[in-house]
Amino acid sequence: MGDNDGYYDGDGTMDSLPVSPEVTYNWVDITSDFFKYIQDLKIGELLHDGHLFGLFEAMSAIEMMDPKMDAGMLCNRGSPKPLNFQQAVACGKLKIDDLEPNEIIGIIDATMACIVSWLEGHSLAQTVFTNLYLHQPHSIINKTLKAYCIAVYKLLDCIRDCINKAQVFEEEDFLPMGYGYRLGSNPQLGNTCDASLEVSEQKCIALLREQEEELNKKARSIEDETNNLSTALAARIRFTRMFYQALLLITKRDSQSGADCVALLNGCSEMMKVIIKTSGRGTQPIENSNSPNPMGFEPMINQRLLPPTFPRYTRIKPRNEALQYFDELVAQLRHAWKITSCTNFHTALDFFMEFSRQRACILSRSALQLLYLNPSPATTASMAQSAINLPPGQSRPSHPFVEILRESIKSFVNPPALTPKSPAASTPQAREFVENFLVRCVRPFAVLLQVCGHNRARQRDKLALLLDEFATLQEEAESVDALVGGEGVAPRSCFGTWVLYHVLRVMIAYLLAGLELELYSVHEYHYIFWYLYEFLYGWLLSALGRAEGLAGETARRDVKRNSTRKHKKRTRPYAREGLMCQVLQNMCGGYYKALVAFKLQGKIRQPDSEFDNEAVRYKHRFAPLSVLTPPQVHYHEFCEMTQPAKYENPVILYLGGCKHFQQARSLLETITTPDQEVTDLLKVVKTNFVVLKLLAGGHKRESTAPPEFDFSVHRHFPIIKLV
Amino acid sequence: MSTNPSVQPSEIIKDNGEIDGKIRLRKWLNMNFRIEMTDGRVLIGVFLCTDRDANVILGACSEYLKNNDGETEEPRVLGLVMVPGRHIVSIKIDDTMDSTTSQKYYYE
Repeated sequence: MGDNDGYYDGDGTMDSLPVSPEVTYNWVDITSDFFKYIQDLKIGELLHDGHLFGLFEAMSAIEMMDPKMDAGMLCNRGSPKPLNFQQAVACGKLKIDDLEPNEIIGIIDATMACIVSWLEGHSLAQTVFTNLYLHQPHSIINKTLKAYCIAVYKLLDCIRDCINKAQVFEEEDFLPMGYGYRLGSNPQLGNTCDASLEVSEQKCIALLREQEEELNKKARSIEDETNNLSTALAARIRFTRMFYQALLLITKRDSQSGADCVALLNGCSEMMKVIIKTSGRGTQPIENSNSPNPMGFEPMINQRLLPPTFPRYTRIKPRNEALQYFDELVAQLRHAWKITSCTNFHTALDFFMEFSRQRACILSRSALQLLYLNPSPATTASMAQSAINLPPGQSRPSHPFVEILRESIKSFVNPPALTPKSPAASTPQAREFVENFLVRCVRPFAVLLQVCGHNRARQRDKLALLLDEFATLQEEAESVDALVGGEGVAPRSCFGTWVLYHVLRVMIAYLLAGLELELYSVHEYHYIFWYLYEFLYGWLLSALGRAEGLAGETARRDVKRNSTRKHKKRTRPYAREGLMCQVLQNMCGGYYKALVAFKLQGKIRQPDSEFDNEAVRYKHRFAPLSVLTPPQVHYHEFCEMTQPAKYENPVILYLGGCKHFQQARSLLETITTPDQEVTDLLKVVKTNFVVLKLLAGGHKRESTAPPEFDFSVHRHFPIIKLV
Repeated sequence: MSTNPSVQPSEIIKDNGEIDGKIRLRKWLNMNFRIEMTDGRVLIGVFLCTDRDANVILGACSEYLKNNDGETEEPRVLGLVMVPGRHIVSIKIDDTMDSTTSQKYYYE
């Protein structure tokens, strides 16, 4: 150990961070001593300052060299200081003029890969803005690249605007921070804002169009190898322009733009085909390099802009995968466009749920929200909230969503109160009640749409919160029903049925989400499926039945009153939905019976109830379901109701389950136009039928090996496998 | 927790060599450590806790990258970290403290 006569007389405080360079240390090596002394500790003994630092604090430490916790581990290779735009241009590493077409293609493709990485939740500073050209697009001399770089700024701004408006992202989906890059208005970094460099949307589009034409001209004039490159480059510029224009239309959303947007998105798809085909023509990234392109990208350039605990380096998505992502993104946007033809809230909600199932990317999920409602469901919800808080008497701003909901109720239950000329709607007081109710519906239903836009993992918690709001709404619906019920007749629960139907759907979605997210243990499955089988699907079926009855009733009354009107043949609008309900109810019944039988035969490992109590788990699983109607079924009720099954012969239970799957199968087979969902369910149903039949016949009766539940065919309904 | 705080450290050093290690480690608590890891990174932070396997917990820790040019790079603030003993290459302690009490134990 060294002598330290001249050591620096430091400030001596231990927790002061070594931030200022004036702090000097006098390091003394104690490695060997340290390793010698620790041998005096017993195994498991911690040496620490008991007053200040305990095991609890120790738990929150980041473990170094653990690939999951230690973000700096993978990217700490010493590298030379990154060059900025001017330095790189000065030393000739960055060409701003005389770029070969293949170099520009390489830069564009790499930038697209960066945009995809950004859309997958990485920071802008570590993805798109590692592109040095974007730091000073106006200093670029090559016109094509300059137009492209300016357009990227505008495009990023538009994407961020779209995602921010829709509000369906979480921190794992998207990072909206801009790190001082002025997106949109003026493509220039930092405070040096020059008004003359301002580029408007139209100017940006015009710049791109100009380049597009020039490149096409060039492509026509030359007939050899370079010809291809000009076409490839033109396709990229054209894609950028059309994609930007389409996104602008979606985000701004004016009603006339429909046909334009479809045409633009179709054009994008075509250009993507060319881009993917020619992706090999551009300069390719050097193998094992962090940079997505040999020229123009500096992965470490923005390191100082990032918060301290950020990963030092973000892996950019490989180019071909990124282009594939863009291709899918455009396809998803085209699909999302179809929401504009969903006039009925009911079909729209189904569309939202179906769209969510495809696990679309954040941008297309956001676009869907904006395409359906303008302003977005998120904004609608918050506006409705503030409208409710207004003092009574003040007129509320009317909202298109109120009309959508009104139509939805009308077509679902057709309450007399919403029928013009009906006596129930005649008194101003009754009308006021109904209008108030509709306004209160706006928030929960707008939030429901918003929740459908969130990523799958986040939806479950949000649904649970939403149930609380629906509970209040149910109360209100019941009082409206009672008040507008009319003269002497028993009040019909029109509004109540409509809200109940949605509550049940949310409840079912909540429970099923637990299966999809693999939150339940196998020993919990039986009460989850029991609850769905015995109650939720049954209630949903009866709600649908009641709705049909109510709608029919009013229609008949109308016919009686107005005999000149032709009696329309009543179709059952929810026939398919009712059928699917029965299918799923039967399937849940099948699972429930099979699971009880497994339990009786000791095939499912049960936790020790002392440590893992079933009642506690049950309560926890169904806690969010404790709304007004339907009443929650409590654990003791569950125990009472399922008591008889405990003494049942497992064979009988297997046969019962078999019958359920058989029933589900025959119901499914009546569907004349099966979609993917139906096909998947059929596969599950058929397989489980056979498995339960085998079990009923005594196959593997003595085996206590637990059955496996395979969710690979359907996310909610597993195939039972015997091992 | 197992050491008895009422026992005076100096006495133990005199008569019992085995507990000596613990006492010395205890003296280093709350002092600045500089730990070099197997992958070349250097961590500087306050020594808070250790165990028999030399797993060390550092508080208010900063990470320094080893630079080719010897240039000091801005540190990255990590906060509370645990360095597994098997990844420790060397440990150094900051000796710039003026206090005479804590130093005599490792100057011999």
